[in-house]
This record gives sequence, C-alpha cells and structure tokens, in this order.
Amino acid sequence: MAVALGIDLGTTNSVAAIATPTGVEFILGARGERVHPSVVAFPMSGGVVVGTDAKRYRLSEPQHVIHSAKRFIGQNTRGPLVQLALTGVRYNVVEGANQQPIVVVRDRKMTMPEISSHVLLHLKRAAERQLGTQIKDAVITVPANFTDGQRQATKEAGRLAGLDVMRLINEPTAAALAYGFGRERDQIIAVFDFGGGTFDVSILRIHGEIFEVLASEGDFFLGGDDLDRALAENLAAECNRTLAVDPRPHPALMMKLMMGAEAIKIHLSDNEAAEGEIDGLDLPGGAVGKLPFSLTRGQFEEIVAGYVQRTMDVTRQVFAAADIDPSMVSDVLCVGGSTRIPMVRQQLAEIFGREPNVTINPDEVVAHGAAIQAGSLTGNLASGTGMGARDAVATGGHSPLARGAVTLPEIVAKRPVLLDVNPATLAIHTAGGFTERLLDKNAPIPIERTRVFTTSRDNQTRVEIDCCRGEQRRYTENEPLGTLLLEGLPPRPRGELKIEVQFRVDADGILHVRASDQTSGKQQEAHLQVLGAPVAEP
Amino acid sequence: MSARTDVLLWAQRVVARKAAAPYMILEIAASAGLDVAQEAFHKIARLAHPDLHRTALNADELELVTTAYARAAAAYHAIRSQRVPTTRVPAMSEQRPAAGAPTIPIPSSPISGKAVPVPDGPVINPAHAMTAKALLYYRKAELALRRGELTGALLQLKMAIATDPQSQLLRSALAQVETEVKKP
Repeated sequence: MAVALGIDLGTTNSVAAIATPTGVEFILGARGERVHPSVVAFPMSGGVVVGTDAKRYRLSEPQHVIHSAKRFIGQNTRGPLVQLALTGVRYNVVEGANQQPIVVVRDRKMTMPEISSHVLLHLKRAAERQLGTQIKDAVITVPANFTDGQRQATKEAGRLAGLDVMRLINEPTAAALAYGFGRERDQIIAVFDFGGGTFDVSILRIHGEIFEVLASEGDFFLGGDDLDRALAENLAAECNRTLAVDPRPHPALMMKLMMGAEAIKIHLSDNEAAEGEIDGLDLPGGAVGKLPFSLTRGQFEEIVAGYVQRTMDVTRQVFAAADIDPSMVSDVLCVGGSTRIPMVRQQLAEIFGREPNVTINPDEVVAHGAAIQAGSLTGNLASGTGMGARDAVATGGHSPLARGAVTLPEIVAKRPVLLDVNPATLAIHTAGGFTERLLDKNAPIPIERTRVFTTSRDNQTRVEIDCCRGEQRRYTENEPLGTLLLEGLPPRPRGELKIEVQFRVDADGILHVRASDQTSGKQQEAHLQVLGAPVAEP
Repeated sequence: MSARTDVLLWAQRVVARKAAAPYMILEIAASAGLDVAQEAFHKIARLAHPDLHRTALNADELELVTTAYARAAAAYHAIRSQRVPTTRVPAMSEQRPAAGAPTIPIPSSPISGKAVPVPDGPVINPAHAMTAKALLYYRKAELALRRGELTGALLQLKMAIATDPQSQLLRSALAQVETEVKKP
C-alpha cells in the first residue's frame, strides 16, 4: 500500500515522518538528524543546497541563502506583515505577478512556493532513500491562522515537489492528534505553539476519535526568530560600544550576531547565565574581531518580556473564543522550540493553574500528528501509532481478546476525525461600504453557507462580489481576498433579482466562492483568485 | 445496511432540507442545548466526515457527502454561536428520527408567553415509546403545540392514548398539556 508522508514544514526547521504499526518513523538527514533546517542555498559554486548543509552558507554568502520562506509564502507583497518580515532577511525580495513575493538570487527569480518545494523535495528524497520506496502522497501542516493564499501556496509547493498533498492540517491539531490518538478519552486540552516564526494557541476537545478545535487564536508574526532578533539588537549595541562598529548595515555581521543570539537563548533555557564571546566577526576594513558577552537569564527575560507577554494575551483571548474556563483544560501541550524557555512555561503554568506537559518533544510532535493523519487518509493506520499508545495497551486488558492471548494481531485503529476551524471571518462587500459576514472565524470546516443578495440599481446586469477576510464592519478595514464577477443578468428593477452567494471553506481551509442568479437560473462559478497566491510569472 | 449506504442516505436527506433550521439539519430538538448539538455533530462527523470517505466513494458521491457535511457544520456553528446554555434536554433529542417522520419536539421555549415545563428524566425516543399509529397522533400533537394550540394538542394526545393505552410517555405528555390548559 502507498506510504504517505507527514510533513511539518516550519519557518526555521522541518520534520517529516511516516506512520508504522508501532509508532512513527522519522525521516533522517545525512547525519542522522530528525530536524531539517528550512534553508535553501544557491551558492556561487552552483547548484541548490538544502537543509543542514545550506546553513553553512549563511555566513559566507547570506544574500544567497533563503530562510524563513514561510514568512512570505502566499502573502501579498504589499501587506504590512511582509514589509515587517523583509527587515529580518538578507536576501532580495521583489513584487511579482498578482502581488506575490519573488526571491531574486543573482539573475534567478523564484516564487516562494518554489523555494519551499526545494525543502519538500529534500524531505521526499530523504524519505525515499530511507524507506526504499517511491513517495507520492503527503499531509503538510500549516499554522492555524494561515490565510487562504498561504494555504494555496503551500499546496503549490507540494505539487512542485512532486507530491500529492492529500490534506493540509493545522499544526496545533496535528499536535493534539499525536498526543490523543488511541487514548479514547474525553478531555479538553490546550496547544500552545510557539515556533520559530509563528505563534498560535488552540483549545481542543478530544472525544474518542474526534478531535474538535473549539477555538484558535494566533499572532502570525511572532516567533522564536523575534526573540533572536531582539537579543541580536542588544548584541549589536554592545558591539557598537566595545568594538566601535555598528554592525546593523552589514548583513553578514548581523547574521553572525543572530546566530550567536540563538545559541545564547538556547543555553539560557537550561542555565542561569551565559558567558563567552562571539568570534570570527568580519569587521568592515578587513579586521576580524570578537565580541565578549555576559548575560543572565533574568536579563534575557527582560529583553524578550514584551514578546512573551503578547503570547499570554492571545492565550487569554482564546478562552473567551472557546467559551471555556482555564480550569476545564486538563493538559497543556507545548509545541515549538520557543516553549523550552522557562519564562514561557512559568507564565503558562500561572494562566492555566497547572504545569504544561513537558513529556512530548515540541520539535517532533507536529510531524508525528501529520504522519498519523497521512496514514489515516491512505487507510493504513494501526492503533499503536499515537503517543498514547502505551496507555491503550494497559486498558487493552479489559478486552476479552486480550485475556489469555499471547500476541494480539494488530488491530486497525478507528480513524481519527479532525474537526478543524476556519481561521478568519469571511465576508463580502455590500452597499454602503459595509461587509456581510458569511462564515465566522472558528467555525468548523469543511463548512458551506449560502446567502441571497439583490441588486441595488434598476436594470443592473452585472454584480461584483468583493470578498474579504477580517472582523471589521467596514469593508476597507479588512484584508481583500479577490473579486467574483457575475455578468449577463436580466435587466430588472432593483431589488428584484435574487443572487445566491455560496461560500465554502474546504477541509484544507481554502475558500471557494460560487454565485448564481436565481431568477434566470444562470449560474456562474468562479475560483477566487486570491491576491498574493501563486500564479505563473508572465 | 452498509456504512456506504448509510452515509449516502444521510447526505441526501440533509441536502434535501436546504433551507431548514439548524436543529432540523442536525436532527435534534429545537429546544436542545449545546451539549446535545455537539453530541449530534460528533455523531455526524464519525459517520460523514469527507476524510473518512476519500477512497470508498466516487467523486459525485463524495461531493454530495461533503456538501451535506459542510451544511451540517454550518448548522452546528449557528447553534454554537447563539451561545445556547448547556442544559439536559429530555425526550427525543439525540435519536435519529424514525424514517419519514421529522422529529418535532414539544418545545420547552415559551409558547405565546407561557413556558411549558419539560420533565427531567432519561432520553426517550417517542418512536420507541408507543405504537406506530399512536406516533402519528403524537406528531400531530407536537405540531399543534408548536402553533400554540393547546386544545388541539390535547385532542391529538387523547386520540394517541386511545390507540396505545400502554404508553407512559403519552400519559405524561397529556398530563403536562392538561396542566398548561388549566393555567389562567
């Protein structure tokens, strides 16, 4: 039977796994590593280098090393978030067709899905080597608050890598699946996902094989990279003071400080103080310098306190959205490397009134869940796959089959059912500059809703249906998604035509809009061209 | 009946009820609380989530099931966003209605300004609590109640009891309606 890969395509790192009867098997890199940097290098020497090896070029030619592509994928270049992300990278990004961001490396122009497809292809090949079989199908995880364009672009990246993306699932849902699959319990859990580049927190109810997301909130532009950058800025100021060099205009120098900052951050998760020096700094003028540093955990916490505070604010919001009390949450899962920071765990414990679950591996749990879903969709999933599998064996003693039997045949597990949610309110532009909501944020997906609208002028023969996402009443204050055009309407007095607009968000979280004129029966269906979504470059 | 037939029949039923109220789509009582709606939706998800039918159904069938499921999701969300307080709801709520008979509950919400009390107790499906002929009168009584016609409901319930004198559910329903009629 076909083997399907579960892939956690991260901002900083990616992990891939497949479901086996006894658990999941992680896909290893050339050095046996389970975590693969989401880094693609186009070195001067030619070729494309991906993963751990690509990181080596970050110092020598930072402008040719594409990292954090996830911060741009499927986004409108003119959006404020992209502009913010641009301040954090040393490579060149320009605006392409349909306002999509394009990476320029020397004379080569590439879309963000192309960049990400190199990472996916790298994982696919590693998996094929390891398993000795062709791989075609995959489940890829995305942040819960990923937009339509970002989801479409992620699927496009999969397609470019030669993968059939069976499903996109949200990262927190994947984590919950890895945690709860095979447990057969009824409980409410929280998933706090603080990764390299994104942050979201979700509340789920696990009810037997049902995984229902009650609410999910997030801040798309908040992640561990921001903590590194805050610390690197501090080091830059220090560099200015001690070495009399302002490193900020020098990409390679700043990159070196970022890498130093990341190492200090990680060290301070297990230690009270970090002391040492960052050497090999190529200073302007050809000299090589070194920057001594000494930092306590308390000082680090002061630098990043604002960012951590934001995650906690969002966490309090999600309780209201899910309509639950923190005391109802029976476990708090930590996902993403940034949850290793003691300050984050302390503050979570305060909010929830319980220590977060530290038994799961925050780097691997999302890929683990993706692998379970991939196994489920291809129909080869065994009950021993979840992290709760050991619990399941313990209660298996109650089964008449288990009693007296020496070995049990592998029982095909009940397939998990993921009830994911719509990440943002979807609405259309109505007369007077207002919006009419069709689908709410946090509604379960797939979902479909139809509303009937009418014309506002006499003999109006065409209507433009402007779609947007966002919570605001005024259309212009929301993010435009695209426009659907319905033409050739029979001329009638205003208010007489009935135009049915149907919004459907599929299980991948992607919006499909259909409009039809009920009077003439003429139906037009169009796929919404989302701004920033991938299109062929002219 | 196979799982495949089950899900297709369900999907056809839901799609046919296009403009129906959310509780009708979920096949629960109009007065049902959030917990009942959640239970009903989870049941639908186990039966009909499109992911479960990727390989077993053809493209047209899968589209039908996806459409029905997507509408059930909208119905569930509509009930959730009304923030209905969680209550134990008696009688006929979580059960699938008998074929051909849409479940119309005796509403617990006020009827023309008056609240009709609903007895506590285990969940009972009226289809299992009386004979088929009595059920017919019982459904008519429900309809009368929905219109606020108490005497009409009384008559229908008495007819029901005449055909099935053994049913406890009918007697308790009659007692409730009688109390309601006597109120000033």
